[in-house]
Amino acid sequence: MLQKSKKNPVSAMAMTAFALLLALAPVATSVYTVHVISVAMISYLCVLSVYVLLGLCGQNSFAQAGLWGVGAYLAGNILLKTGGGTLTAFVVAIAGTALLAFVLGFAFFRLKQYYFTFASIGLMTILNGVFMNWEPFSGGAVGMKNIPTFTFFGWQATTEQSKFYIVLVVCIVATVLIGLLFRSSLGRAFMAIRDNEMTADSMGINSLLTKSIAFAISGALCGAAGALHASLSGYLSYQSFTYNQSTIYLIMIMIGGTISPAGALIGTCVITILQEGFRSLQDYMQLIYGVGVILLMIFQPEGILGGGKALYERICERRKKAKAGSR
Amino acid sequence: MNAFANAEKKPKLVLVDVCKNFGGVTAAQDIQLEIYSGEVVGLIGPNGAGKTTLINLITGVYPVSRGKILFDGREITHQPTYKRALEGIGRTFQHPHLLDRCDVLTNGITGSDMAARKRGIQKVDLAKELPRLLACAGLEGINLSDPVSKLAYGQQKLLEVVRVLLSQPQILLLDEPAAGLNNREAEYVSALIQYATEKGIGVLLIEHSMELVMSVCDRITVLNFGTQIATGTPEQIQSNPEVIRAYLGGGDSDAEN
Repeated sequence: MLQKSKKNPVSAMAMTAFALLLALAPVATSVYTVHVISVAMISYLCVLSVYVLLGLCGQNSFAQAGLWGVGAYLAGNILLKTGGGTLTAFVVAIAGTALLAFVLGFAFFRLKQYYFTFASIGLMTILNGVFMNWEPFSGGAVGMKNIPTFTFFGWQATTEQSKFYIVLVVCIVATVLIGLLFRSSLGRAFMAIRDNEMTADSMGINSLLTKSIAFAISGALCGAAGALHASLSGYLSYQSFTYNQSTIYLIMIMIGGTISPAGALIGTCVITILQEGFRSLQDYMQLIYGVGVILLMIFQPEGILGGGKALYERICERRKKAKAGSR
Repeated sequence: MNAFANAEKKPKLVLVDVCKNFGGVTAAQDIQLEIYSGEVVGLIGPNGAGKTTLINLITGVYPVSRGKILFDGREITHQPTYKRALEGIGRTFQHPHLLDRCDVLTNGITGSDMAARKRGIQKVDLAKELPRLLACAGLEGINLSDPVSKLAYGQQKLLEVVRVLLSQPQILLLDEPAAGLNNREAEYVSALIQYATEKGIGVLLIEHSMELVMSVCDRITVLNFGTQIATGTPEQIQSNPEVIRAYLGGGDSDAEN
């Protein structure tokens, strides 16, 4: 059938293999490494949110870390103040962040092209200010302490390993859902807006509404990441949810490539390995990112994934030619 | 379609005294236009006459300065572009506007997606209709999983027409579909126009290739400096002195004497 033709069988297979490998990590490595991977997977969710917004819909936002914070504080409030369980915290964090993003998107996307990006920088600054100063909601500068860990029907995730698997499951579910989105008519409407907004209009796509939905979906991913972060670390500080963090998410997707969720995965891995492997060079990290991104944009604007894909296609073509030649 | 048939039916799209000014420049002056289902109306005129502007007014890319646009008897003058598209006004662009980063198949599916967004229209059977339309456009040989950037310019333009036809419009606005195409590709354009009229779609065709315009159009309207200088059958237009003057230039006295 026409519509069932698969877009990226190679990258889907590679990601499945990677998820399986990752599932073995707690057996093979130290508790510290397991924690680092859990934190990286939470970053991956935020980078995936950038993929939806930038990679699919062509809209660039610097506010993702702010939305991540909204999700985290919402979950924290549910767990600490209302006595709600993990599932309630999850649902509220995802729905609340998505709703906030949708409403803000509906206002912001009246601005065209990069003016939305400017507005998102403003939003990030405001959100960070809110986290720092709105004490009843966020605990202000002191932050939020002693957030309980994941609890499902009386079972508590106390070890790093069990928390790891919870984060992994959420990541896999999110990736599968985004994969389905890519193949849906909504996903194609996102791509139509990305490639040419005038065409999208002429194809009956309400671009304001559609872009707001894209922002809401990215908000839902950030909200999920926030809820995971709250229970994983047990402590929330406004210093986590900064403009700089949003920039790192963008760098991650630029390094990985915006063409598929695999790009988000590759970018997250590369930056996490850099951060962990070169802790002694921490002061120079910003510089390394800066130079790295500039070089990447010059030599491989589609990121590592784009470069890999081009290479793969070249090899396939060469093979085809060799076959044709041997006949 | 002849004039008697038109008299019994109501026009699908009607423009009443449509005007558009850009500052001091008049791009459209009291335009009157009717398009019936299943007919092809040609819109010709020298460069800068306001042909593309007229398409942009009909689709709502620009708001009109004055006048009314009616679709199926309902006024759509102030509707946004996407709503007019959902009503059934499909268009193509002078330069192909495809989803550049997607493959051929995805571009085709976006067309049938649009049909699905319209109320009361059955989604096209893509597996049947896409190959048929691609064959009609001479694109049967292309690989559906190729990115559209790999296609030649003419193929991209033809694919855009295929996409808009998959969206099942009732009125189709074609902005120079044959410009930049070779003779063979231009024949595919007329095949696609014939496909559209057989489906009962009313077509407005902007085109510089007189051969194509004269062969496929039922009626032709001529624009010059935003004003309609003539409307009629291809034969009437070909012998209209004012049209000849607009195209060939020359002073008033030369043409009249």
